[in-house]
Amino acid sequence: MSRLEAAQERRAEAGVPGSGPPQASDVLLEVRNLRTYFHVMDGTVRAVDGVDFKINRGGTLGLVGESGCGKSVTAHAIMRLIETPPGEIAEGEIWFDGRDLLTLSDEEMREIRGGDIAMIFQEPMTSLNPVFTVGDQISEAVRLHQKVSAREARDRAIESLRLVGLSAPERRVRQYPHELSGGMRQRVLIAMALSCSPKLLIADEPTTALDVTIQAQILELINDVQAQTGTALLLITHDLAVVAETVQTLAVMYAGRIVETGSVEEVLLNPRMPYTQGLLNSIPGEKKRGKALSAIEGVVPSPFRMPPGCKFQPRCPHQWERCTMEPDLLEVGRSERRARCWLQAPGEIERRRTYDLAAAATVRDVIG
Amino acid sequence: MDTTRATDLAGPESAGPAPDYEVGLVSLNQWQIAWRRFRRHKLAMFGAFLFLGIVAAAIALPFIWPFDFYTIPTPKPNCRIGCPPNPDNIFGTTGGLQRDVFTLVVNGARVSLAIGLGAALFGAIIGSIVGGVAGYFGGWVDNLLMRIVDALLSLPLLFVILVIARFLGSGNWLLIMVVFAAFGWPGVARLVRSLFLTLRNEVFVEAARAVGVSSTRIIFRHILPNAVSPIIVASTLAVAGVIVGEAFVSFLGFGVDVTTPTWATPSRTR
Repeated sequence: MSRLEAAQERRAEAGVPGSGPPQASDVLLEVRNLRTYFHVMDGTVRAVDGVDFKINRGGTLGLVGESGCGKSVTAHAIMRLIETPPGEIAEGEIWFDGRDLLTLSDEEMREIRGGDIAMIFQEPMTSLNPVFTVGDQISEAVRLHQKVSAREARDRAIESLRLVGLSAPERRVRQYPHELSGGMRQRVLIAMALSCSPKLLIADEPTTALDVTIQAQILELINDVQAQTGTALLLITHDLAVVAETVQTLAVMYAGRIVETGSVEEVLLNPRMPYTQGLLNSIPGEKKRGKALSAIEGVVPSPFRMPPGCKFQPRCPHQWERCTMEPDLLEVGRSERRARCWLQAPGEIERRRTYDLAAAATVRDVIG
Repeated sequence: MDTTRATDLAGPESAGPAPDYEVGLVSLNQWQIAWRRFRRHKLAMFGAFLFLGIVAAAIALPFIWPFDFYTIPTPKPNCRIGCPPNPDNIFGTTGGLQRDVFTLVVNGARVSLAIGLGAALFGAIIGSIVGGVAGYFGGWVDNLLMRIVDALLSLPLLFVILVIARFLGSGNWLLIMVVFAAFGWPGVARLVRSLFLTLRNEVFVEAARAVGVSSTRIIFRHILPNAVSPIIVASTLAVAGVIVGEAFVSFLGFGVDVTTPTWATPSRTR
């Protein structure tokens, strides 16, 4: 943590306007310049390399990107669940409800975990402890954060199991995880996450391990409880179809950075960055039936040999000399709509037009 | 008969609660499942009865058996080197004083079993705590604790007992038990550490951390119950090891006092 503390001090001394809690009171979570590194044998992996985003109270944000782009690490960093060593939150601020989570003690952080911020994991099959009943596990979460008797906690467990639509919750609380199917376990995990009425729910690929019909049910459930309880939602996924149905705002990540943000409609219907376009293009659609599946050329660069400038440049069909310089997250159009791409820089009208035509064609193909 | 069936099959529309298709399923906890499996395992049941038989004999037989441990019998002239088993002495008698071996065994069972079970239990408790903490936290904590374990494992137990007997005096069986426990836990600690190294990376541990469970609680409430079966197996084997070990040091004269009956007594009684 020493590097983080040094960075915090430096910022305080310089009086950088960026530090301090967010001014707007409806902002629940604001992540600023988050950098999370892993020090491994071959060097340092910059898994998250300067990520900023905001979630309003009751708001929903989708974080999408390929495997290994730093989505889950971002979520774990918010929960301070990064194992140190080898991991390290090297820099940044995570303002949650007026407090910087990175400055809290372990004790204070434990109260926030599960109480104010709850998390749903990717693998429902292994996220429940095999030796305890479902009821024991939910009750434990309740009793860790609220002063209630064992009986009340049990009642709360039954209540939250009912909320997530499990049949016969009175019997479910006495069952062991191995007696439940994957979809039921994911419901139990959602119930556990909701049992303390968190202000923020982080869902880390909640549907990846489930089959398609159950996926739809679970997404609908997350949507419903989000609307019912008014909790904010950070949904992490690599499935664009999932975010399209679930969230209001979207952040696309690539190689540890956010490359595009905006409302979900705008990002999906009008991508301003070739990477987002590539992601959309990879969705198999009706128009592309019979043709070879399209994928983004090349692979994610090795974390030890990142290209200079734009990290997507080696794979980008539109790249030119300017791309060897690091682009900023540029404002495009209205506020909160940003893209990290030189195509959006003022003066690149010709190139932008070529790109826009290609992007429009992609969107047309996908939407059909 | 047919009419009742028809109404049963009428489904949820019929009066009464919705049909319960899972009514036959009873949720069993870890111990209930273990007990069920144990009951079906013939060899395990045989072993259990044998063990319980030994315990029962240790408790009851010293009161019923015709020979008393502290009374030296009148020697028979034709048995100087010890009698073979006969209707009076079913295990035979020792040479010299001609004591009934079965009496020695039955009386000795009490202290020997107490030392074995006690040392294994305390060893398992200390070993689980040390191994759990080392395996869960890793890093320098793990290094420190495991070097202590290595150091203890490198000491030859026999010489340690000789030294302890020299300085603390020998004879007290509780002391022997403590010594065996103190030198038995490093093995358990290594085992538990290795189990924790794999279990700590399980998703349910991370999930527990994510709902705000403290490290102590994760170690003892969430991970340890998952590691309990290998610990039980290792401790069971340790019981036998400690009993033999105690008999060995007592035979050398550095263990339990001669006047206290243990399973070492038949070997050193004339």
